[in-house]
Amino acid sequence: MKPLKLSMLGIRGVVGQALTPALAVDFARAFGTYVEGGTVLVSRDTRPSGEMLRSAVLSGLIATGCQVVDLGVCPTPSLQLAVAEDDNAVGGIAISAGHNAAEWNALKFVSGQGLLLNSYQGEELLDVFHLGHFVGAPWNQLRPAREDRAAVRRHIERVLGLLDVDKIRSQRYRVAVDCCNGACCTFTPDFLQALGCEVITINDEPDQPFPHDPEPNPRNMSQLRALVKASGADIGFAHDADGERLALVTEDCQALSEEYTLAIVADQVLARSPGTVVCNVSTTLAIDEIAERHGSRCVRTRVGQAHVVGEMLNTGAVVGGEGSGGVIFPKLNHAHDSMATAGHILGFMAELGLPISALAGRVPAYHAVKRKIGCPPERVYSVLNRIREAVEEEPDGYEVDLTEGIRLLRPGEALHVRASITEPIIRVIAEARTEERAEELAEQLTARTLAAL
Amino acid sequence: MKGVQTLKISISGVRGVVGDSLTPTLLVEFAQSFGTYTNGGTVVLGTDTRTSREMAKHAVLAGLAATGCQVVDIGICPVPTVQLAVERLHAAGGICITASHNPVEWNALKFIRSDGVFLSTYQAEELLDIYHQGEFRLVDSASIPRVRFYAGALEDHMRAVISCVDADLVRQRRFRVVADCCNGAGSVVTPEFLSRLGCDVIPINAEPNGLFPHPPEPLKENLGQLCAAVKEYDADLGVVQDADADRLALVSDQGEPLTEELTVSLATWLVLRRRQRSGLPPAPVVVNLSTTSLIEDIAGRYGYAVIRSLVGEANVVEAMKRSGAVIGGEGNGGVIWPDVHYGRDSLAGIAAVLQLLAEERKPISALVGSLPHYHMEKLKEPCTSERAQQVLKALKEQYAGVRMDTRDGVKLMFDDGAWVHARASRTEPVLRLIVEARSPARMAELRDRIRSHIYGG
Repeated sequence: MKPLKLSMLGIRGVVGQALTPALAVDFARAFGTYVEGGTVLVSRDTRPSGEMLRSAVLSGLIATGCQVVDLGVCPTPSLQLAVAEDDNAVGGIAISAGHNAAEWNALKFVSGQGLLLNSYQGEELLDVFHLGHFVGAPWNQLRPAREDRAAVRRHIERVLGLLDVDKIRSQRYRVAVDCCNGACCTFTPDFLQALGCEVITINDEPDQPFPHDPEPNPRNMSQLRALVKASGADIGFAHDADGERLALVTEDCQALSEEYTLAIVADQVLARSPGTVVCNVSTTLAIDEIAERHGSRCVRTRVGQAHVVGEMLNTGAVVGGEGSGGVIFPKLNHAHDSMATAGHILGFMAELGLPISALAGRVPAYHAVKRKIGCPPERVYSVLNRIREAVEEEPDGYEVDLTEGIRLLRPGEALHVRASITEPIIRVIAEARTEERAEELAEQLTARTLAAL
Repeated sequence: MKGVQTLKISISGVRGVVGDSLTPTLLVEFAQSFGTYTNGGTVVLGTDTRTSREMAKHAVLAGLAATGCQVVDIGICPVPTVQLAVERLHAAGGICITASHNPVEWNALKFIRSDGVFLSTYQAEELLDIYHQGEFRLVDSASIPRVRFYAGALEDHMRAVISCVDADLVRQRRFRVVADCCNGAGSVVTPEFLSRLGCDVIPINAEPNGLFPHPPEPLKENLGQLCAAVKEYDADLGVVQDADADRLALVSDQGEPLTEELTVSLATWLVLRRRQRSGLPPAPVVVNLSTTSLIEDIAGRYGYAVIRSLVGEANVVEAMKRSGAVIGGEGNGGVIWPDVHYGRDSLAGIAAVLQLLAEERKPISALVGSLPHYHMEKLKEPCTSERAQQVLKALKEQYAGVRMDTRDGVKLMFDDGAWVHARASRTEPVLRLIVEARSPARMAELRDRIRSHIYGG
């Protein structure tokens, strides 16, 4: 079976196999039909298939009578912000597979409010797609695409507006950045320079292939660590391909787990304005401790930006995000936003006069072990069901949480097994206070999953 | 039956009505078929001015890129510009997005092979097989080339045409020319092209916006505005192109529309005359079976032979290449001048006519007046294909004693020079009937006689 995911997240697959231009055209036609014409913004990351899919999307949208505004290569949060701030926009399509490897690509669908489609909207879109009755605008209602190359600049200005720029500038930080040759190449240096930073970038050539998998986690951060070391930088930022996720390297050259990004931000935000933090069920247990520390509340949702954002809107959360390195600042937009994350972290450092290692040191120590187990998509749910039946029969002292997949909780320990929402794999996550214990738990859970497979 | 009538997938490409049958999905799949057929490689892409051009172009770009083709986008341009660019850029093929003379709501893909000529019947059938099988060559992400833009294709085309005439001679005459581009692809090049030939150009309908002010077919009935403008500006010539600027019709200095049969006739006159003057040996002229007999008269003056091909640009070109013809084309206003390129080309036609006017130093009305007169009628008789075959068979039997050509329907050639060509259309349920004679009365008599075979049972 070819790897392809049609889900509420949109459509995601390997280009040249399952993700064909005809499929992309039909999804764009379905989306154009779903939003009933109107203005639709389109962006893409730097993948070599981006231009091809952009053409497919433009053709499909124009054919349904949409006014396309093409933002070009542009971070997904910039697109979401642009849609939210454009009164005429009824939606957006981001052509990006985010953290997935270069051979993948995806269409992410954005509502007129600038939010990723929620599960109801996503299912409606899938219904339109499956029904296959797309609007065909007649020849005199086809509108040529417009271009807008200023969305990123507006995004930068909005982020700067949330920060104490003078304070950050006064620190004259030296910052190392790995843009992974992704959509952030074009603007991250500008943004950081506007904050008075001395910026040292690597992998900032959008025409070049990804130098490593664009998933910002310590496995992919050796180059950035070396750069921080060589340059004596105060902090290192690792971006994914479309400006959603961020991971950090400290001034003493430690590549922090991507779980730290939200934890550091939540600790600082809740210290200043206690309230609700929303994260998904896979995110580190440290978030609960941090919320408790600040007299705040941690609400956990299913995995996926749309679920987190939905709950943030419900609860009026002050911050949210996912353990993958995606952080959401509701004052700015309801999107994972690596630029806003980098800016806020520099702001916290400047305000407290502390290095990033000190901010990271405030995060309760947990060790997470994440594993992927390949599983044919048609068997994923029966495998998970078998595990669920087993643990419900014999909980072994764990509290069972079925928000998504199966999550088992004991004080200071969490086990989580769930289907990936983007790939045909089962994710196994074990978290504990020590690395040994986390490894041990991950081993048990992996064995259990393999047994059920 | 609506769907059947608004979509035509045939050896001449894929044609349909936008917003109805011609969906972006269909276009993507045809582009993928073509990319599979060329096995990747460079593919030149051009469009006419229709409002659906961007929708169609992006679909084609996506389909070609996914099959690993290096697309060279040359923008809005005449179809012969695409053909020439394919050859010049050593591309594996080309696609032109145009429904040529079809109304504004239509669009189509025309497929061009590596020598700049449209796919032959067999090649088009191979392409259709790939489309119907649906197994496309798809490359991995890293093998998708970025689209290249080439802005020089119109320039290359203009230069290629101008190099085939004595441009200085033409410029000296400072012809005043009214050009009706029908807001089609000719809009982006024809006024400039005429200026370079020293003409005082009065462009009308030269906005490349795809909003056709009249049906985009260069027929007499569509030339009213141009005739009026030629009179108003006291011009030497009026020229009108179809939407993709491969076909050309002329309006005389008197403001009278000339039949589109005269375009290829005048071009033939010019080319044979120059060739004879330069002392080169005769070579054939190729026109299709439906083209006026005036071609034989003109060729006869110079002792040149005329070869009649089946109808369709690809067929004419094939016969021209095989026979080494020096000029050819079709009576519908399509001039094929191999010195420029093997394809119908309105710019080549304009250049040939201006060169003839410059050499003869007579107004075009006088030149045309010096030629033998023919009267032609072109009819489209609604007719199922079964009925059409019966009619054609009946004609063959009925006129067994008459000289006939049965390669493409039936062409009956009478001793007084009158002829009838009847053939079933490949794209519509009609019988095409072309009748030509020296007098209107004989033409009418012959026409009515043949029609009675169709309707008389």
